[in-house]
Amino acid sequence: MTIRTTLIIGGVAASLLAGPALAQDGAALFSQSCAACHQPQGQGIPGAFPALAGDAFVQGPPQQVAHVILNGRGGMPKFSGDLTDEQIAAVATYVRGAWGNKAGPITAAAVTAERNAGALPPPTDGQQAH
Amino acid sequence: MTQPSAFPPTRRMFLEHLAGVGGTPLLLAGMSALGFGIEARAAAPPPLTGGAKGKSVVILGAGVAGLTSAYELSKAGYHVTLLEARDRVGGRSYSARKGVRQKELGGEEQVCDFDDGYYINCGPWRIPYWHRGYLHYARTLGVGVELFNNDNDHSYIQFDKGSGPLAGKPIRKQEVAADVRGYAAEILAKQINQGALDETMSKGDRELFLSYLRNEGYLTGKDFKYIGTEGRGPEINPGAGLNPPVDSKPHPLSDLLQSRTWATLQSVAGYDQQRTMFEPIGGMDQLPFAFARHLGPIIRKGHVVEKISQTPDKVTVAYKDAKGQHGTVVADYCIAAIPLSVLKTIDMQVSPAFKQAMSGVSYALVGKIGIQMKRRFWEEDHAIYGGHVYYDDPMIGSISLPSTGWLGKKGVVLGYYQFGSPAAQVSAKSHKDRLALAVAAGQKVFPQYAENAEKSFSIAWHRVPFNMGGWAEWSDEGRKTAYPLLNEPDGRIYLAGEHLSYLTGWQEGGIESAWQQIGKIHKRVNA
Ligand SMILES: Cc1cc2nc3c(=O)[nH]c(=O)nc-3n(C[C@H](O)[C@H](O)[C@H](O)COP(=O)(O)OP(=O)(O)OC[C@H]3O[C@@H](n4cnc5c(N)ncnc54)[C@H](O)[C@@H]3O)c2cc1C
Ligand code: HEC
Repeated sequence: MTIRTTLIIGGVAASLLAGPALAQDGAALFSQSCAACHQPQGQGIPGAFPALAGDAFVQGPPQQVAHVILNGRGGMPKFSGDLTDEQIAAVATYVRGAWGNKAGPITAAAVTAERNAGALPPPTDGQQAH
Repeated sequence: MTQPSAFPPTRRMFLEHLAGVGGTPLLLAGMSALGFGIEARAAAPPPLTGGAKGKSVVILGAGVAGLTSAYELSKAGYHVTLLEARDRVGGRSYSARKGVRQKELGGEEQVCDFDDGYYINCGPWRIPYWHRGYLHYARTLGVGVELFNNDNDHSYIQFDKGSGPLAGKPIRKQEVAADVRGYAAEILAKQINQGALDETMSKGDRELFLSYLRNEGYLTGKDFKYIGTEGRGPEINPGAGLNPPVDSKPHPLSDLLQSRTWATLQSVAGYDQQRTMFEPIGGMDQLPFAFARHLGPIIRKGHVVEKISQTPDKVTVAYKDAKGQHGTVVADYCIAAIPLSVLKTIDMQVSPAFKQAMSGVSYALVGKIGIQMKRRFWEEDHAIYGGHVYYDDPMIGSISLPSTGWLGKKGVVLGYYQFGSPAAQVSAKSHKDRLALAVAAGQKVFPQYAENAEKSFSIAWHRVPFNMGGWAEWSDEGRKTAYPLLNEPDGRIYLAGEHLSYLTGWQEGGIESAWQQIGKIHKRVNA
């Protein structure tokens, strides 16, 4: 929401809840932020969460992968407010190379370019409460 | 009115008069009072007068948006069928109580075993006073409400990540509030007395500002010093006889600053968090249940919609029922009141642009856990009645104490409420591990926590079938491109739900979105 300057989480001012300084380790980031849905081996759950292992989209053009992680899409949440461009690059690179996937890495600069293209603000410390 | 006038003033005339005598503020107040709804846009359902012309509407999803649509349209004479995938109504307006079952995608099944009468509101839990649509139905359908304590002065702030002597232990919010206000006012007052504002503020205003600061910060003496105040809570409470209160001493400013606890003081200042805050008595499922009592057989539970198709004159909805039987419902119009995260996965005959727009939004990650406590130790031992314990671990977010069952035997505490990446992380854990995380955090605040935690129920909305997300999160771009399209029908198919409002993440958004869409259908039918 644009008018809200202080974000709130469950009654807690969000600025306090700045996430821990996550390691730029793609595998660790994947198990923290993605595995709950896409499952630990990237196999997904049919009908709900798409498999990332063997997925053509994941191994396709880097900017489309960065785009979906930044912006989300339906049940795929957006991470633009949670993860830095370095973290998104690390996790995207990981999923493009894990479980038999064979696509090349994604750089933080490519993620930043995609963030700027969508005029997405840099990560904030949280979201508002409901 | 005592004097009948020959020409009863129209609403417009009356408002013009108000604008004339009192300017805009009076005009706005008048508009609000007349139901123009400056506070909440709409204060009442649209009047569906003029008849239903024998038309039928099939509504998909029995959350508040679908229920509101079905209730109003059936009252207005439409032939209504409401298909709901689950074996219960309410969607996100859901309370876990004894016997409730939930299986997350990729998770184990949980069966709630709370004692009779105890529950946790797994989704929505609070109703701001200006959500007039919700309160309209609570009032007219006879769902009682009680106050939800959204701000408790005597509650704790637990900040482990700050530094200094106040970090890592529970600090009473009232102490932090009084002390930082006091110090900030003192510093400002001293600056003013040293001439800091001589150039920019008139002498008269400076004096008034100093009076304000003295008042605001409980400042004392000629030097405007903050030496504490009874409002931060006394060291020892006042008693009878020869027992006056013993004053407490303020925390040193530097300790407060380093603890970062001050950052919580704004937490419920936003318009949608201010008091007065309500909750329905008996759980958030009570309003859906009340709707369902009125709708009776109009609601068909256990009907999973699989396909929505249309011709120029009819809509056909294909479903699979709980017995695995396939069937269809044919109607003149359809309202799909299903979250977009789910709807976009359903085979739907709409234009490519409409289909594309449904991908223009994403859904929030959010998790909660309810823990039934053997005893209300937060009330009995800590004098905390409702409200939130602020916690700076993003895996916890906040611990909230119930605003119901005051002074009773047991109670259900909200053990965490987290969002975003931390919510994804917690949701990857088994229920047992989620509970362990919550109990370890609670134990730091309340020494009685672990020994009293007896039963629990957790939920991660992004993994819940038929929801797949907490609430819609529109980007500015999505609001500009996708959102307007989805608010208009595609042929005979209309969408409704919290996602089609500027009140996303609130039931009010679902209700007011339903009002808007049924108004459009009715206008079309009566065109
Ligand atoms: C954790 C959390 C906290 C919240 N806090 C608050 C709060 O404090 N106050 C507040 O007012 N709001 C709050 N909200 C928001 C509120 O829950 C929603 O805005 C509101 O309930 C949405 O109503 P809805 O009718 O649009 O959708 P839903 O309630 O999601 O209803 C959609 C319905 O469609 C059904 N459905 C889905 N797929 C199919 C299918 N294929 N076939 C048939 N039916 C289907 C679902 O089963 C469901 O019943 C909160 C939400 C969450 C998750
Ligand atoms: C809440 C569950 C959830 C989480 C957590 C989640 N995703 Fe997704 N993801 C989805 C869903 C659902 C889709 C399909 C979205 C759609 O198109 O409807 C998806 C789609 C994707 C896609 C596109 C796949 C395709 O074939 O189109 C990529 C890439 C992706 N996710 C990567 C990630 C990464 C990386 C993370 C962690 C940073 C992550 N996801 C976390 C649910 C999730």
